Amino acid sequence: MMTTDNENNFISRVKRALKVPAKDNRQYRHLFPNPPKEAVQSVLKRIENRSVEQRQELLHQLIEAGKPINLNVIAKKDVYAVAAAIAGLVQENEPEWGHAKQVAVWKHPLIDRLKLADALAPQDVAVHETDFADPETETDGRNRIRKQIIDAFIGVTSADYCVADSATLVMKTQPRLARTVSLVPTIHIAVIKIDQIIADLKELYTLLKHDPDYDRQGITNCLTFISGPSKTADIEAVMVHGAHGPRELHLFVIIGGESSGRAKK
Amino acid sequence: MAEIKTEYYRQEARKALKNKVLHAALAGLQERLGKGAAAAYRALPEGPGLRYEAHKMRMQAIDHLDILLETLADRICKNGGQVFFADTGEDAVEYCLKVARRHQVKRVVKGKSMVTEEIGLNESFEKAGIETVEADLGEYIIQLADEHPSHIIAPAIHKTRKEIGELFARKLGIPFTDDPPTLTQAARKALREKFLSADMGISGCNLACAETGHITTVSNEGNIRMASTLPRVHIAVMGMERVTARLMDHDILFRLLARGAAAQNMATYVSYIGGPRRPGQADGPDEFHLVILDNGRTRILADPEFREILGCIRCAACLNVCPVYAKIGGHAYGFAYSGPIGTVITPLLTGINRARDLCQGETLCGACREACPVDIDLPRMILALRAKLAEGDPAWGVTPAGRMEKGMMTTWSKIISSREYYDRSLKIARLGQKLLPIKNGMIRHLPPPFNGWTQSRDLKPLAAKSFNELWQKKYR
Repeated sequence: MMTTDNENNFISRVKRALKVPAKDNRQYRHLFPNPPKEAVQSVLKRIENRSVEQRQELLHQLIEAGKPINLNVIAKKDVYAVAAAIAGLVQENEPEWGHAKQVAVWKHPLIDRLKLADALAPQDVAVHETDFADPETETDGRNRIRKQIIDAFIGVTSADYCVADSATLVMKTQPRLARTVSLVPTIHIAVIKIDQIIADLKELYTLLKHDPDYDRQGITNCLTFISGPSKTADIEAVMVHGAHGPRELHLFVIIGGESSGRAKK
Repeated sequence: MAEIKTEYYRQEARKALKNKVLHAALAGLQERLGKGAAAAYRALPEGPGLRYEAHKMRMQAIDHLDILLETLADRICKNGGQVFFADTGEDAVEYCLKVARRHQVKRVVKGKSMVTEEIGLNESFEKAGIETVEADLGEYIIQLADEHPSHIIAPAIHKTRKEIGELFARKLGIPFTDDPPTLTQAARKALREKFLSADMGISGCNLACAETGHITTVSNEGNIRMASTLPRVHIAVMGMERVTARLMDHDILFRLLARGAAAQNMATYVSYIGGPRRPGQADGPDEFHLVILDNGRTRILADPEFREILGCIRCAACLNVCPVYAKIGGHAYGFAYSGPIGTVITPLLTGINRARDLCQGETLCGACREACPVDIDLPRMILALRAKLAEGDPAWGVTPAGRMEKGMMTTWSKIISSREYYDRSLKIARLGQKLLPIKNGMIRHLPPPFNGWTQSRDLKPLAAKSFNELWQKKYR
């Protein structure tokens, strides 16, 4: 569909409007240079070398920033405590759309360690992981996962980072980490480790840009920021949670000392 | 192009001036968001001056749009997306329809977007027999009511909960209620069905990033994430000015956008979309199309006087402080964009002559510039539009104001630059005004040819003696 003519004509018109001279030697990288290396290094070092106290302080900031946007941040000692808390949420909530209680979860190292299938077995609640089964074709797998996520009333994800300043969860799109788990179920539960909390957007963008995977996949085909549950104020400016996305968002932060360095996937 | 009713500004504004319900709704909105945004700017660690930084950043991007657009398109294509450059709104709609037909699309869900309002996309899709559902709650309400949005981010602000309750009872077949949570739940249920069965999602674009090759979409409800994730095909339509250079620029721009738009630290959802689903990923659309729209923007770009308006990120902060918008609402402006931004962009996109009343209606109080997260000098451009209307400008096809007005202004300037002429004309006017009816101490109507002046304002009668005369009498 895209013709080069189409693009060329358009860009030439823009150039004319900008009065770009015929001999144009402007280049993107010269016009918009990267920030100096030292500045970048200092941000990365600051994140890497945060003390336990500083991380606690960021957690505290995150909890406070979450309050006005109804993002429920809960610190937990370890994965077992998180699994128990999730089992509690599954117990006390009812499905919104009338399906039997089902939970959709990312196939993710940290989420695996929660062993949610075991934790929810006593309640007889099915846990669906969002990766393709072995003999399944990709199309079949996608259809199955889509249906399971639609039927789930709770979705459990992790995140790549969480920005304390604005209480923002940041997720790259990867295989096995379906985007809709954080969107379609009524309740979204996210689980991260305390060293995934960063201070602000500046740290976030620096990390994204200087991730070792950046050259291979950039910031991925869909990078999602989530700051609180879905909300609307479109009827007489009355705030209502759960417009289209989840009505509730619970963020469990594992503070146990088992992590070393910043978590990579 | 969407239906343009900007010629009816006077009539529509006059109607809205009597609408007390509208005034109450807009006063509430301005109280909350207008004041909230100002407080949020002050609370920034860098202070409200960060807006100047953002202005520089936006204008640098606008000055290099050619390079940034090429880079953006190139990277999106490399990541499996398809890019179409649309000269006009019609071209953009035609392209979207072509993609829809190729995929045998029967139902489209739309994420909230003003640019698709600008190009009248919904009407064309409906005409082509494709069901097109607005998914943002406010837009959905407006669509059910067969109206147009009256605010950029709060499209249904002019409707009361009772009206919405009646509308939903009629259109969705639910029992009448005016309880916002219950009404929201009804829309949530109805729209969930649409999201899950739609073949195509269409969204706008808030800011694009040339460096990484992504567009971004922003919403609080999650409607745009739904529309860009669940259907097989996602098309994003973007005004060509929305591109930014670097990912790092978004640190400042997104913090300001969220504060300006809704006094938030961050919108609930921001998505960076750079291409379709990749192999191995469980969800996301199979195809991603980006339509980059000109539709009159290069013409604005070419004019140094108005280029600045392309820095706008459509947050609607200017609507939330404008005293004129507060009284006439969004519909009077007669196009997708209302308030101070509409006052400047509507004439430039649809014709300065045609939208001549918009800039005359503003007060030039300057509140919009103070509220703008990227510090765009809207009052300057409103004034420039007035000057164009007075002087005429062939480049914009503006015919100058009538000879009569010009002649009167020339005579006036002669009179006030001479003490003698001025005093003499004061004397004549003092005699003349005795013949005019005075109400509440004000002259309501001047006779022709001066009647234009009192069409929308009252005039204080001249005092019996001028200051100069009083001074001479007292101290000489």
